[in-house]
Amino acid sequence: MKPSTDFGADGPGGWGGNRASVPSIEIKNITVRFEGKMILEDFSLHVNSGEKVVLTGESGLGKSTVLRSVLGFVIPVEGSIFINGQPLSPETVWRLRTFLAYVPQEPNLGSGPLREWLERPFTYRANSGLRKNLDRIPELFDRFLLSMDLLEKEVSTLSGGEKQRVALVSAILLDRKIFLLDEPTSALDDSNRDRMMDYLRSIPDRAVLAVSHDPALLALADRVVRLS
Amino acid sequence: MGAVNIGPGALAAYYALLIFPLTVMVWFRIPIISRTITAVARMTLQLLFVGLYLQVVFKLNNPWVNSLWLILMIGVADFSIARGCGLRLTRFAIPLFGALVAGTAIPLLLFVGPLLQRPDLMDAQYVIPIGGMILGNCLRADIIGIRNFYDAVQKSDKAFVHALSQGARLQEAVRPYLRDACQAALLPTVATMATIGLVALPGMMTGVILGGTDPMTAIRYQIAIMIAIFSGTAITVILAILLTVRKGFTPYGVLDLQAFKSAP
Repeated sequence: MKPSTDFGADGPGGWGGNRASVPSIEIKNITVRFEGKMILEDFSLHVNSGEKVVLTGESGLGKSTVLRSVLGFVIPVEGSIFINGQPLSPETVWRLRTFLAYVPQEPNLGSGPLREWLERPFTYRANSGLRKNLDRIPELFDRFLLSMDLLEKEVSTLSGGEKQRVALVSAILLDRKIFLLDEPTSALDDSNRDRMMDYLRSIPDRAVLAVSHDPALLALADRVVRLS
Repeated sequence: MGAVNIGPGALAAYYALLIFPLTVMVWFRIPIISRTITAVARMTLQLLFVGLYLQVVFKLNNPWVNSLWLILMIGVADFSIARGCGLRLTRFAIPLFGALVAGTAIPLLLFVGPLLQRPDLMDAQYVIPIGGMILGNCLRADIIGIRNFYDAVQKSDKAFVHALSQGARLQEAVRPYLRDACQAALLPTVATMATIGLVALPGMMTGVILGGTDPMTAIRYQIAIMIAIFSGTAITVILAILLTVRKGFTPYGVLDLQAFKSAP
């Protein structure tokens, strides 16, 4: 199956936001193959600064592969990817990832207490100047209906919904300009989904590229890209 | 005073002791009889060959020949580690070789030089047996450490790439896996050090005592060799993982499955 893009389906809600001349993400004619199988063919997409774009479509069409390509986890055999106008390459990927916040569909947080997991990214050299953001943990836990008692809990024992919200909290703490969200509401109940929507509405200056089938998220997108 | 010589006939007769375990295997149908017989035959031939070669090496006692012997042993260990860990030799041979050279040479030269104060650092009498003991332990530790490291990264792929997405450089992302792999590789030596002398008398100490040296000297040798083995394994495991990381991951920091023999 050859995925194609539909750029005309703007969502009715519209998060709005600032638009800059350089797109936050620009994917130009990428083709991805894995073990001889075509995953994406000649796929293009751009996400402007502050724009919220949702990728949707049936399973197996390569939606998550688009996010993984932007992160440099999957390397297209053809085409190119630009982040904030800079080409993604082995030399630039390490710096460009510091513009990106990724929330996977089923986060695997590894092991250890949650507090340690949240603090770990701030031990990386790229994030060493952001350590003061950890002070926002109580505010963000409150916002996403997470108990502060969870901080001492082993991350592997958290529920799927808790892991998704914790991964989002970590992404927010890292203060990135571009959010890559893979089915971010798939394990959330209605109240938690509403909280996430409220948060996404509150960040007009951040670009979001999400993969989702959630009607609520599709309705709020500036633009919906349907893979078929 | 030296060890009493064992005559060829007496040694051949001693093989009769193997009748007991082989009979047990036949009786209980333990399916490793042919492997056992092959292993005994290989042990005999390999040791006879090494014995003949070492007689020449000891007679010549030439530093270049001794060095060549060590390099040959390191090369064989290099091949064994790559095979034991399922790594592609073409990619990993050089970094593994470098790690083995460092892990063997540093404790060995400090043993023969400052500790024993031998004028000739490559004296066959010390370099060959002590180097062999250090290298043998480095080989075992490398296989445990490297396998543990790459298996853990592969099993925790989601957590690993999530760390990369959070801004970790490759060296930062692999750190927890490196720590766990080193622990797994070093624990057997730590456990051996903790029980040595209580559970079993180590081979080297036994050999030195059989050679006619007094037990206190044998014990000093054994303490030194345990320190050498532990230091050597630590050096080689850490270096082997750090030096192979660039070969085992893509330039984007993701585990490169093509680096492994089981890759499609």
